[in-house]
Amino acid sequence: MATIATPVFEQEYAGGTVARAQVGLWRDGFRRLRRNRLALAALVYLILLFLVAIVAIFWTPYNPATILPNTLTYLGPSAGHPLGTDDLGRDLLSRMMQGAQISLIVGLGTSLVVLTIGVVVGLIAGYFRGWVDTVISVFINIFYGIPGILVAIVLYLVLGRGLGNIMLAISATVWMDMARLVRGQAFSIREREFIEAARASGAKSGKILFGHILPNSLGPIIVQATFVIPIAILTEAFLSYLGLGIPSPLASWGSIASEGYAALPLEPYMMLWPAIALSVTLLAFNFLGDGLRDAFDPRQRR
Amino acid sequence: MLTRGTLIYIAQRLALIVFTLIAVSFLVFVTVHTLPGNAFESDRVHGRALQLLLHEYGLDQPVLVQYWNFLLNALHGNLGVSFQIRGLPITPLVMRELSVSAELGGTALLITIGLGTTFGVIAAMRQNSWVDYTLTSIAVVGYSVPSFVFAGLGVLIFSYFLPSVTNGVISYPAIWTGTYGTLVELSLPAIILGFYTSGQVTRITRAAMLEVLQQDYIRTARAKGLKTRVVTIRHALRNALIPVISILGPLVISIITGSVIIENIFGIPGLGKEFVESILAADYNVTVAVFTVYALLIGIANLIVDLLYTVVDPRIRY
Repeated sequence: MATIATPVFEQEYAGGTVARAQVGLWRDGFRRLRRNRLALAALVYLILLFLVAIVAIFWTPYNPATILPNTLTYLGPSAGHPLGTDDLGRDLLSRMMQGAQISLIVGLGTSLVVLTIGVVVGLIAGYFRGWVDTVISVFINIFYGIPGILVAIVLYLVLGRGLGNIMLAISATVWMDMARLVRGQAFSIREREFIEAARASGAKSGKILFGHILPNSLGPIIVQATFVIPIAILTEAFLSYLGLGIPSPLASWGSIASEGYAALPLEPYMMLWPAIALSVTLLAFNFLGDGLRDAFDPRQRR
Repeated sequence: MLTRGTLIYIAQRLALIVFTLIAVSFLVFVTVHTLPGNAFESDRVHGRALQLLLHEYGLDQPVLVQYWNFLLNALHGNLGVSFQIRGLPITPLVMRELSVSAELGGTALLITIGLGTTFGVIAAMRQNSWVDYTLTSIAVVGYSVPSFVFAGLGVLIFSYFLPSVTNGVISYPAIWTGTYGTLVELSLPAIILGFYTSGQVTRITRAAMLEVLQQDYIRTARAKGLKTRVVTIRHALRNALIPVISILGPLVISIITGSVIIENIFGIPGLGKEFVESILAADYNVTVAVFTVYALLIGIANLIVDLLYTVVDPRIRY
């Protein structure tokens, strides 16, 4: 950057220097986040979606997997079924609620798995360097060289269909970004004075890694973990759309969209609901991620 | 241009591609062959007949021996035979499908770069105006909304509501009439695929332009009285394109990923459709072949991108 950095924390007045009241890193971040209307709107939507998913654990209008007796198939929106019914006469609102549950579980679960793998692998590579780093970097580059969705499909079929396995399969395709980010952070932070001080005062490698390096790179890590969520949700929807995802009768937004596409001329609504739900949810996660990045990782700001 | 160092670099990269291909094909080969079931299981073949069939396709041998045979054949350009359509040689099949996918993917790549750089430059020129916000929002929509949503809506609109626009060419369910499709058949999937990846290009271009526009030589160019258009295109855009070239590799991967689903929705006889069909039919030789071809494609794309670097930025030497 060629611009001259303007001092933020101190302002000069005729009477001398007036410092702004000191604010911690996290409070400062939250203050910035609160000013971002788009990110806040996204957050509100996502909280609502969470509530829907939690309610769906205890109550849905009908059983999402039950083929209802005396019910028309391909029913449009009506009083008994606000979103209509599907090709087998199952209630679409109930299925959409279950789909929200699946999407959020897959998104958050994958994000957690990626967080664990990426942080551990990245910290080890960045801290120990040498041949450990070389091996890990070669692995990362090989994974970057193959299209993720193909890896996810093959791995998922090998592991066997199920909610836990789909998260593992998707994680295997997106862990590299996190590992590379943490590796870079560890690389630069381990050279700083306070790490030297910690080592001089006798701290062991594990203590330095998880007690000093990790907390100091938490901002970018959280931002990256947020961006994993929409990728995971999208990949799950992709797989379910192709018929290679969550096993039926469990409802996923992807599989409802696929069934809806098959029924397109008969009932356009059926494709519409998962399309809207997926689009808005993915947009919300991406906007929230952008907001978090601007708030907690200001150096990344564009 | 082609110095000795560059040639050595290219040789190294080619060796790395070969290594990656062997690693990837080995992993996929072993993985899919440990899957339960095979393409013959659904047939009404039992006992001795099944044994003979497995023997004919070499499936009764240990997996490592099978892989070794596959590798030797692959070196001669023979990727084996299909189980599903018994005895069909895979190499010509995959080559034809690769050309179809390349047609779709290449068109989508051009659309992505054209759309993305144009949007990115305009957004950077009008930074923090409503134009900027609109274009960056479109970019986020591009990579947030799943491509099958746009594909479904596209098919619905052109087959159901506005069939006259395309003269009924896009029907429901969509399918390509010939191997390579007509221009109309190609354009809708290519635009949807291109739009999906254009968001990344918009972001990168915008960020790069904003950075370049602040540099001293741009001020100099303006100061000596050049028109904004000249400064933007000839001075700023050229340097802003370097980061765009750096994401061409990931872009190719995104387009391949997207094409898997787009080809299935639009009934395009390409690699992506073949991949999903081979997986569903347990036709594992085809799965391995498609996977290997994809890995080769990405390896070559990445190599070309790295060589392009030296062309656009003479400071970079290998």
